[in-house]
Amino acid sequence: MTDGPLIVQSDKTLLLDIDHPLSTECRRAIAPFAELERSPEHIHTYRLTPLGLWNARAAGHDAEQVIDTLIMYSRYAVPHSILIDVAETMSRYGRLRLEADPVHGLILVTTDTAVLEEVIRARKIAPLLGARIDAETIAVLPSQRGAIKQSLLRLGWPAEDFAGYVDGQAHPIELVQKDWKIRPYQELAAEGFWHGGSGVVVLPCGAGKTIVGAAAMAHAKATTLILVTNTIAARQWREELLQRTTLNEDEIGEYSGAKKEIRPVTIATYQVMTKKKNGVYAHLDLFDTHDWGLIIYDEVHLLPAPIFRFTADIQSRRRLGLTATLVREDGMEGEVFSLIGPKRYDVPWKEIESQGYIAPAECIEVRVNLTEGERLLYATAEPENRYRACSTTRTKSNIVEVLVEKHSGEQILVIGQYIDQLDSLSETLGVPLIKGDTPIKEREILFNKFRSGEITCLVVSKVANFSIDLPDATIAIQVSGAFGSRQEEAQRLGRILRPKSDGRTAKFYSVISRDTIDQDFAQNRQRFLAEQGYSYKIIDADDVLQGKI
Amino acid sequence: MRSFSDYLRSLNDAALLDLFTARPDLVTPVPPDIASLAVRACSTPSLARAIDSLNQWQFQLLEAGAALSEPFTLKSLIAITDKAAASGVEYLISIGLIYPSDDGMRLPSQLRDVLGNEPAGLGPISIAKLKLADLDSAPADAKKVLERLIWGPPRGSVGDIKNPGPGVAWLLERKFLVPLDQRTVIVPREVGIYLRGGKIHRENQIKPPVMTGTKRDERQINLAAIANISTVLRWVEELLNFWAEEPADALRAGGLGVRDLKVIANHLGVDEACTAFITELAYLTSLISIDAQDRIMPSNKFDIWLMQTPADRWQVLASAWLITSRVSGLVGRAEAKNVAALGPELDRVNASRVRALTLSILQENPCVAPDTASFTALMNWRAPVRRNSSLQDELSAWSLREAEWLGITGQGAISQYGESFLMGADLAFINSDLPKTVDHILIQSDNTAIAPGPLEHEISQQLAIMAEIESRGGATVYRFSEATIRRALDHGKTGDEIKAFLTKTSKTPMPQPLEYLIADVAKKHGKLRVGNTSSFIRCEDTSLIAQMMSDKKLEVLTLRRIAPEVVICDHDATDAMRILRESGYLPAAESSNGLILSGTRANRALTKPRPPRVIGEIEAPSEDLLNSAIRTIRTGEKSSHKQLHLRQRVSEALGALPRNTANETLDLVNKFIQEEKSLSIGYADNNGSVTHRIIDPIRVSAGALIARDHATGEVQSFRIPRITGVAPL
Repeated sequence: MTDGPLIVQSDKTLLLDIDHPLSTECRRAIAPFAELERSPEHIHTYRLTPLGLWNARAAGHDAEQVIDTLIMYSRYAVPHSILIDVAETMSRYGRLRLEADPVHGLILVTTDTAVLEEVIRARKIAPLLGARIDAETIAVLPSQRGAIKQSLLRLGWPAEDFAGYVDGQAHPIELVQKDWKIRPYQELAAEGFWHGGSGVVVLPCGAGKTIVGAAAMAHAKATTLILVTNTIAARQWREELLQRTTLNEDEIGEYSGAKKEIRPVTIATYQVMTKKKNGVYAHLDLFDTHDWGLIIYDEVHLLPAPIFRFTADIQSRRRLGLTATLVREDGMEGEVFSLIGPKRYDVPWKEIESQGYIAPAECIEVRVNLTEGERLLYATAEPENRYRACSTTRTKSNIVEVLVEKHSGEQILVIGQYIDQLDSLSETLGVPLIKGDTPIKEREILFNKFRSGEITCLVVSKVANFSIDLPDATIAIQVSGAFGSRQEEAQRLGRILRPKSDGRTAKFYSVISRDTIDQDFAQNRQRFLAEQGYSYKIIDADDVLQGKI
Repeated sequence: MRSFSDYLRSLNDAALLDLFTARPDLVTPVPPDIASLAVRACSTPSLARAIDSLNQWQFQLLEAGAALSEPFTLKSLIAITDKAAASGVEYLISIGLIYPSDDGMRLPSQLRDVLGNEPAGLGPISIAKLKLADLDSAPADAKKVLERLIWGPPRGSVGDIKNPGPGVAWLLERKFLVPLDQRTVIVPREVGIYLRGGKIHRENQIKPPVMTGTKRDERQINLAAIANISTVLRWVEELLNFWAEEPADALRAGGLGVRDLKVIANHLGVDEACTAFITELAYLTSLISIDAQDRIMPSNKFDIWLMQTPADRWQVLASAWLITSRVSGLVGRAEAKNVAALGPELDRVNASRVRALTLSILQENPCVAPDTASFTALMNWRAPVRRNSSLQDELSAWSLREAEWLGITGQGAISQYGESFLMGADLAFINSDLPKTVDHILIQSDNTAIAPGPLEHEISQQLAIMAEIESRGGATVYRFSEATIRRALDHGKTGDEIKAFLTKTSKTPMPQPLEYLIADVAKKHGKLRVGNTSSFIRCEDTSLIAQMMSDKKLEVLTLRRIAPEVVICDHDATDAMRILRESGYLPAAESSNGLILSGTRANRALTKPRPPRVIGEIEAPSEDLLNSAIRTIRTGEKSSHKQLHLRQRVSEALGALPRNTANETLDLVNKFIQEEKSLSIGYADNNGSVTHRIIDPIRVSAGALIARDHATGEVQSFRIPRITGVAPL
């Protein structure tokens, strides 16, 4: 019995005691093969998954190394079944290989004919294959490279992809590090991606994912297509790229509802890509019109279904997915990994915080007591209107007013879901509102004013959930949301995580109606952040009103 | 001296002791005299058991003996086997499977029946005289036919015996093939042996095959084994705690249903094969009981077991497993019909023998985790003949698997704990080798708590009520949620008690959200009270009542508001509670005098546990017992002899038929069959009247004497118990 920091559970989770002196060393050792699941304050949970083990194989680790690592750091004896399982799972990798053959094009080669026989008989795989070349080789339809990789993965025989990537049309791109420096974790993430070829990088909001994208472009030195959530985000990307790289204005195009420019680096929105004209996706051609060397998916957790489908067809191009919160309420995380590529880099939020790259944040849940009348209204509301009834109460607005007043002088965002609630808040607070039908121009003007400090408070709807860069916002007040969405909560916190010039702690208020489903949803919403180590503090609205806090 | 009983009479005490030690079933119960002993030793079950205990070489020798005609000599046996036969035969004699008589060696009369008609795949002895030398010059067609039959089975089918092919015709003509019926021919034994080059077996497997395997580090073995031991103890405890909360229902045909098995597999987080093994362990050790209502729940032995030290607890489990004839591996096998765990169909005669053999092979190869193929080969050499032979390989594979689950092995090789257990040594060192229990947990702000090691019993019991287990192993991860806190409140805890317990047990400060969660649920818990007697729902909170009254999900309850704070409904309280909970309310049950009823208790069966019987195997008797058995038999022998003598005197005097006991009859008949004498017997008919018959005995089969009756000239069977007496003519 050693006294290591790691406990290997029989259900393949690994518990890492982060207060242990060896924890950092152990974290580094297990990161290549175990996936980080939760990172609250004392014990982090990792999981051994086939995908993780295969990625480790792909990165050159063998089963023996993995087993040695587990045994070396384990506090108790490692269950024998897990050791066997690791060895077996890892030995499945690499029996099949996808290769580019000068004569036959894309081929599937095996070292173990039994495995090949097994997979070519699978119903999902047979239609993707071409002619049998010999006992160990079979041709694959080039357009099905993504599909076959996905299906093989599901069968448990992952194919090692040696077919390589197309380089795309070369275009010189370099980082310009004059008044700033790329952070170590950004560099690691970009390198991790580049060595892996394709994949997803997970970094907290405000940790500078754009720079990882730029660094990846500097590695690729080729024409790049960047897909982002909306036009504002597209413009922010453009600004960042102009500032951080050698690219000039003529080299960056915007492909959105307003403009349709195709340049060596083109930034397109998901919205325009998925717009239908006469029942067909008119703009999906953009993927093909140019010989892209790199495709970047910003906020990859929002990737819409049509793009999913199309992504399967462009497996020979390098793809980089960027996100802070790879939790999809629709459970499609697995699809993201298999189409864009495996997770190449992930780091606990609190670790970035401790390095000072994102602002420390305090999460506060303010519980308001509904008035008797409001309770009755809530009690008798139809089930489908319940959440709206309890999350848009007048009592909440009162608290918001007090909170805004308390933090006057700081940059404040009031975020909500329901437009009429936001309308009335904007009116009572006397501050501008940005919502879905606010024109892009006006949005930009307002955001710029907010950035410059001309206005200190904004009321925003869910349009500001993502990708809006507001460096000086320190306070966010959430009044309502999309029910129990975990990633929305994390993304909203992300709006205020840019490090502050004075090192100030950001505050994230969530105003909740007590004893209603608002409270239940809030609990679910907070789960992701709680698992990242953000501890919510609960305070009573009355204490706020009486100025105790 | 020609009969087996005569041979037994000639044995000295030491030889009898050897015999009884090797075949303990002969003295369980102790037979009254030598004749009875001889009958038992020649009975089919006893012979089968003795044959089961032979290894491949000994079995080959016995087959070779059966291939010879009696009496035979050691020399002739060596001729068809190997020089090593001499010592092998000695062993076979010592356990009574071959016995020496005046004119050579013989087999006990029923042994051929047990071995089958075609020992070693050889046909019957030829009736005609054969010119075996002709075989060397057989035509190619004939050689081809023989090649196919040479190693057995000796029977072959032909299209039509009247119109055989040239090869078969050549052989038939010279009696090298004998027709059995229209379509079957058989090779006579002499031809078989001749063609096998004067030997019986292709290869005399005198030495056991070498077992190969992976070498393991001793420290790692013991580490893995101790992890297995702590795991198996945890499994059993969790299983029984689960059944204490929710007893399972046994199937009408007996045993545990597939669905219940799945539920437990899910709860324990192991596969179904392992679950079946754990439930069987609990059953074998009387830790569970199936009551008159067919409910499966822990017995009060479970409470006793829990109080024992881990080493004692483990020993209870391992000992029961070692000797049981039940095979949990049979549960849920894909190819066979489904057999239920705890059900009546799990007994297999050979199970414990295979298990013992498996473990002894492991003991002989310390620090080696055997390769399956070489292990199976060795097992097959050690125990080549067996009843349930279809299961042989699986039984040993299951034994290996279960030994690992139990921690008798670690990483597939025998552990020091397994070794000590099998040697009967003190196991107390298990207690100190198990990971130290921890007395604290770490609560985190995502509403999980982690016990970084095995928790003290008391704490884990408490926590199991308050939180759901999310991950098991060396450590345990618990998750708190509204439902689990509610469960703790349902168990009669108050919010403050829960908070105090967690604060005391946690090494880390309690996160505020959890504190609020407990307070919130506690505040709401019991706000609604549901009664059984009149099925009412009351609540001081009128808006909540209003909410309920307008709740469409509660319409099934047909609620009627009889006062601002009270609602009644048509359903009984249990249903009402369920529907309310499903709709997201937090009701509490209320007794008739207004007290809140706390939730389910851990159940205990009232009936006495009845663990399954161990069948098939007889425990090795002690030397004292054997000696006393020998004394008993010797005394019995004297008195039987005296009685026989007296009876004969009486019948002679009266000129009547001889009278014998059934055992004596069998013994005498066996003797006269060998001597080919005609006999005079008394035979009782259906009405009990005894007739006098003169017969030529042929053989004894299945409790009957097959003989030719002189009066009718027909071959007839006489049931042994009805033969009142036997005398030679």
